[in-house]
Amino acid sequence: MAGRPDDTAAADRVTGASRTALILVAATAALSLLFAIQYYLGGPIRLPVISEVLSVAVSPDQRSIAAGSQDGMVRVWNMPAAFSSAILAEFDLARAPTWPVQGLTGHRGAVIELVYEPESGDLISVDSQGEVRFWDPAQGKPTRSMTIDGPVSDVDFSRDLSTMASVGTDNRVALWSVETGQLIGRLGSPASARWAVALSGDGVLIAAGMGSHIQVWDAQTGTLVWELAGNCESQALETEDECLQDDKSWLAHTKAVTALAFSPDGALLASGSADTTVLFWNIQTGKVASSSEGHWGPITSLQFDPEGRAVLSTGADNVLKTLRLPGGKSSGTYGGHFGAVERATWGPLDTMLVSASSDGTIRVWETANQYTIHMEWSRLGLQRVWGRTLAGWMLVSGILGLVAAWGLSRIERWSHILAMALFMLGPIVVIGLPLFEVLGYPLVTVTRLRISWPLILLAVWYTALLVALMREPVALLYEAPRSARLAEQLQASQRTIRLRFGVYGVGVWIGLLVLLFTVLRRFKLDVAFMGHFFSFIMGGASITLYISAASIALAVVLALLGALGRLSRNPIANGISSFYISLIRGTPLLVQIFVWYLGLPQLGIRLEAELAGILALGVNYGAYMTEVFRAGIQAIGKGQHEAAHALGMTRGQTFRRIVLPQAFRIVIPPIGNEFIAMMKDSSLVYVMGVWELTFRANKVGRQNFRAMETFLIAAAFYWVLTVAFQFLQGKLETRMARGERK
Amino acid sequence: MTEPIIKVRGLHKYFGPLHVIHGVDLDVMPAEVVVIVGPSGGGKSTFLRCLNFLEEPSAGTIEIDHVEIGVRDTGAKHRQLIREIRQKAGMVFQQFNLFPHMTAMENVIEAPLTVKKLDRPAATAKAEKLLSWVGLSHKRDEYPSRLSGGQQQRVAIARALAMEPKIMLFDEPTSALDPELIGEVVEVMERLAHEGMTMLVVTHEIHFARDVADRVILMADGGWVEMGPPGQFFTEPKEERTRQFLAHIL
Ligand SMILES: Nc1ncnc2c1ncn2[C@@H]1O[C@H](COP(=O)(O)OP(=O)(O)OP(=O)(O)O)[C@@H](O)[C@H]1O
Ligand SMILES: [Mg+2]
Repeated sequence: MAGRPDDTAAADRVTGASRTALILVAATAALSLLFAIQYYLGGPIRLPVISEVLSVAVSPDQRSIAAGSQDGMVRVWNMPAAFSSAILAEFDLARAPTWPVQGLTGHRGAVIELVYEPESGDLISVDSQGEVRFWDPAQGKPTRSMTIDGPVSDVDFSRDLSTMASVGTDNRVALWSVETGQLIGRLGSPASARWAVALSGDGVLIAAGMGSHIQVWDAQTGTLVWELAGNCESQALETEDECLQDDKSWLAHTKAVTALAFSPDGALLASGSADTTVLFWNIQTGKVASSSEGHWGPITSLQFDPEGRAVLSTGADNVLKTLRLPGGKSSGTYGGHFGAVERATWGPLDTMLVSASSDGTIRVWETANQYTIHMEWSRLGLQRVWGRTLAGWMLVSGILGLVAAWGLSRIERWSHILAMALFMLGPIVVIGLPLFEVLGYPLVTVTRLRISWPLILLAVWYTALLVALMREPVALLYEAPRSARLAEQLQASQRTIRLRFGVYGVGVWIGLLVLLFTVLRRFKLDVAFMGHFFSFIMGGASITLYISAASIALAVVLALLGALGRLSRNPIANGISSFYISLIRGTPLLVQIFVWYLGLPQLGIRLEAELAGILALGVNYGAYMTEVFRAGIQAIGKGQHEAAHALGMTRGQTFRRIVLPQAFRIVIPPIGNEFIAMMKDSSLVYVMGVWELTFRANKVGRQNFRAMETFLIAAAFYWVLTVAFQFLQGKLETRMARGERK
Repeated sequence: MTEPIIKVRGLHKYFGPLHVIHGVDLDVMPAEVVVIVGPSGGGKSTFLRCLNFLEEPSAGTIEIDHVEIGVRDTGAKHRQLIREIRQKAGMVFQQFNLFPHMTAMENVIEAPLTVKKLDRPAATAKAEKLLSWVGLSHKRDEYPSRLSGGQQQRVAIARALAMEPKIMLFDEPTSALDPELIGEVVEVMERLAHEGMTMLVVTHEIHFARDVADRVILMADGGWVEMGPPGQFFTEPKEERTRQFLAHIL
């Protein structure tokens, strides 16, 4: 055959069904890439995606709500006359009428601040590029505009809207005249990370964050009035060390200040931080007047009510709260947004709040029951995060798809696998995740969300491609060249079958995980809360691991001794061993734990909780594993003993060198199962107050009435641990099985 | 006149009430090859296993290379003597009994390392010689499960030889082998005999008995029936019992 290479090439050329598959893959990849590139360049084709709403304001006549979003659009919704504070029996997104909306376009950057002029009802909007526009909402056109130094991270107006303070991404704080648009002055140095700025109502004081500290200046003179760094809850103690030694708390932010607001009378400054807390500072004394636990995530904004009796705080944990003053205790929590709440304000009616969120919605809440009574989307469609995921996925799949197509055209095996994997994941990423996200919406909101038809089409397309790639002629071609011998082709088809099995298996696992995730979302899990306490709960993981590892080591030693005892011809050893097994197997583990921990102290033996746990678990599992070891040792034939003895080995040497290694190999699978059971049973030691995983999950969960969330974290940890252990066990088994017949 | 290397006097073995060996005597000279044949259940294996105390004899004395053991002793001194005898008498089993968790090489060096306390390089060098002597240097890193029966038995012989025994006991070394594999093992045993090893062999390989053995013994019902050089044993046996047995197996 060597003399006719052309024939071979011809036989292997891509033809028929395979060529169709190849063209489809290449076209899909190219289009995906094109979509991704134009998306990132800000091109016109986007699958419906919501843009974050960053600012919100209520008009002085309380009839309209303005919201500024990430895409530079200001939308003004007009409240229908029929809308009242009546509490709705049921809120149905699909049936809720949308309000008349008017779009104010022109901003090039994200609209970060909106204010209504109290008298004229004009709207002032500030974007992140530093452009300030003044609108007459009725006309829908800006009446004038001014420019301040951009890019801007936060601005604040005085009450009469005559001056405006800004802090830029370059960390510079500046004061501007709103009438003239002129710079009045700059304050402080651009030294450290500044995210928030606030101007007192009378325009006299400016506050700006500086890392976890806050600087307050006199706006007229530009002199620094305070640098607020924190103080002890007891006034007498000066330094943090003294304070902590005296068991008092040190009141200060530990992370960057992200939100600031002055009270209407100018006596208090509220500050929110990435450390999730809110502090209220007395401007006269420069001390913390009160502190609030705040949110489960960084604070995004703070706003005083006109009388100064409450503060509205919003957080990255998707909720807004009202904090009562004085004191700062939470008097209401409004949960329901799917993304960080960026801004909130009072209105449009007296018993209502309105909030803007990065999930692309504004929501109107009633304060009596803290329910959503109206919701408006910045744009209908999928959530922001999936929009980005989709573009990212398109980029990845585009590049990989082109690589796969190149390989397919050269009849390479790996390219076929790559293409299959790619299109297996496609439908799940494109439609699965958003779909499940939608299913995860709170149950009180009977939601029917429109999933845009382009996405459904895309998912169908991906599925069809997968089916095409899976078809026998296509799969076989990329497995074995057609010119190959029959034996090779048969082998290849065997491989294809196995591979398809694997790919489908992975797909099913991913799909089921997504499904599990959805079901869990239905519990209205507080994800921000989980994030907040994740590290605290996982702090117990090391203790769990340590207790399991130590107990397992103890159990193995005991089991080995126990097995030797059971096999011994010495009646005393045999008796001790069988008594031990009978006693331990005949009583519940929990009772044993209590005996070790509570019983022994009555004899004057006081054990550390952890040690008691290790002893209880180790002794318990040792008894169960004794039988396993005994069976393993007995399974080693008489011939092995005789062969070793005939070589002059002592009984000890025979046991150590010949019997034990073989017995170990036999007992690994059953012992592995015991290990897995033990790892999970180690959670029982929580009854002794060991600060391990389950204990922490229980503690945090109960304190906050969110046990579901915390126990889910614990469960996930155990699961991951078990999977990892099973993997290791498999590896060990193959290693130990070297000598066995294949 | 040299001394016998194996001296057995009045050896009895009971399994409970069952009297399996009825007081046999045997002298084996150095470099002598003795083949024991006999009907099943005659006590051949038991006799062989008594020699290195895998079975505790019930009465009599056994002396191997000047180490004598009074049969009814006990205690640490006794166990020490038994181990000494076992090192002098290597044994090869019908079922090979290789250690399955060790490679061929590891099987061979195991006892020199643990019993003789040789260092590893020395043990390995010796084992390599032995493995090549049995024709298996290329299989040194294979596990027993990947060796044929004949190869396994040859490794087992190398393993026994690694302890540098004075005598070798073979208990039906070829009975568990496929017919075509018997030759390679018998060939190794012949070479061993030619190199002057003292051998006590229980086997049904009549060729081996005829060509290699210095003496053939018929054992039945726990005692010697007939003993003689192979020429005489196979061609003009004295006992009627021997004639019957030979007629049966030839
Ligand atoms: N451990 C034992 N316990 C009880 N009886 C035994 C034991 N070992 C052997 N016997 C008995 O001793 C007798 C002799 O057995 P032995 O194995 O020595 O015979 P053999 O000549 O080697 O036979 P074969 O050719 O079948 O191997 C038999 O009757 C056997 O049943
Ligand atoms: Mg036998």
